[in-house]
Amino acid sequence: MTNAFPFPFSLPRLGVITALVRRDYLVQRSYRLVFALDLFYGVVNLLVFYFISKTFDETTANLNGAPSYFAFASIGIAITIVLQAASGGLAHRIREEQLTGTLEALTAQPITVPELAFGLASFQFGFGMLRAAFYLLLSGVFFGVSYAQADWVGFVTVLLTSGGALASIGVILGAGVLVLKRGEILTGAVTFAMGLVSGAFFPVDVLPPWLQAIGSVMPTRFAYDGLRSAIFEGGGWGGDAIALTIFAIIGLPIGVWCFSRGLSQSRRAGTISQY
Amino acid sequence: MASNGALLSIEGLNRRFGAKEVVRSLDLSVVPGQRVALWGPNGSGKSTVLRCVAGTLTPSAGSVHVGGYLAGELPARRLVGASLAQERSFYLRLSGRTNLLFFARIRYDDRREGTRAVDALIEELEIAEIAATRIDRCSTGMVQQLGLARALLGEPSVLLLDEPTRSLDADARGRLWGALERRPQAAALIATHLDEDLNLCDERVSFPV
Repeated sequence: MTNAFPFPFSLPRLGVITALVRRDYLVQRSYRLVFALDLFYGVVNLLVFYFISKTFDETTANLNGAPSYFAFASIGIAITIVLQAASGGLAHRIREEQLTGTLEALTAQPITVPELAFGLASFQFGFGMLRAAFYLLLSGVFFGVSYAQADWVGFVTVLLTSGGALASIGVILGAGVLVLKRGEILTGAVTFAMGLVSGAFFPVDVLPPWLQAIGSVMPTRFAYDGLRSAIFEGGGWGGDAIALTIFAIIGLPIGVWCFSRGLSQSRRAGTISQY
Repeated sequence: MASNGALLSIEGLNRRFGAKEVVRSLDLSVVPGQRVALWGPNGSGKSTVLRCVAGTLTPSAGSVHVGGYLAGELPARRLVGASLAQERSFYLRLSGRTNLLFFARIRYDDRREGTRAVDALIEELEIAEIAATRIDRCSTGMVQQLGLARALLGEPSVLLLDEPTRSLDADARGRLWGALERRPQAAALIATHLDEDLNLCDERVSFPV
């Protein structure tokens, strides 16, 4: 039997992607307090790192040009939100569709694999970008982080290429959830581990050499380095953006192929309609 | 379409779940306009056949073709309108109309055309009140009527209806059969265990097979 979701794939229809994004937005909006609570969580998160920074405010580690540990960490937090949304957003949405029972209704529609994968992931990614922007704003206005050197074009460029690169991992993780169901544990572990070895919350200099070596080939490492360079040094992000673009170009088709195989496997196993 | 004029062609369909054989060697051809009842008790494999035609379940053996395309392929899914497990197939925190508009956006490339189709179906099936209600505040019968409306989006050639009258009152049942009457070219595969549904179908396939 041929694959019902064949590869190579056609370009996704923008209308379908926006329909999925709009649907996710409407569902999210129906929980009235979620946005306010999310912002509150952001403030608390920044406060924790602010006081950690106050406790250990002297460091000789390489902070990628950041003037203080708090500046380094606050950018790490903001970026991590976007990267987690890009890498774990689809898996999270797939799991929700499984639990609410809508996955079968959705996959019975004339929707392609890229439309399904990118449509389900897009709202989370966009929402993550907004949350990150809010964190950056808070850090600047209330916690004294200076963006005077920032190259915003570079920042946005690296952020978007990071999104593409991490989305490829996200689509593969989404395929994992399709097959394994309780894949959120895997998703959480993978994204957290990538942050650990890539310098999300502390400089990679403090890691043992073998962990630094692993981190040096992670797309998250290029993302954190590139974004911090753009923000604090006003340049030096070009190499990171190129590396992330290459990763996205290679990774996205592989991710979509894996997702397609995950769907086919679910259809064979008869688990699309199962929790 | 197959050379024998069949819109839906099932050959030697077999589906197992582990060691349990739920459907065994089912052959069935359905031509445009034909209504076939899959009749049998709960758990006899009726819904499994519908899922194989909808493309959300792959047969263990045999084949299913819709309009000449293998079930589950994109062109086949365009031809099929399915109302399967309605209770768990809508977004609970959105209204019926918002749900229908979402699925219409997948079926119709033109957004306005999709909106017109949704509003026309709401009017035809007389479900304006249901459409304005959030799904988590709807009864099973109300959701079932929305499931029919969703299945009719895009004027599909093949309708798959799983126990479509089970929770409906007499008026709603009348509207359901009326909607099928107004689509004389659409083939319908209707899983049911109710005798009264059989009288409105052209053919019966008894389950288990």
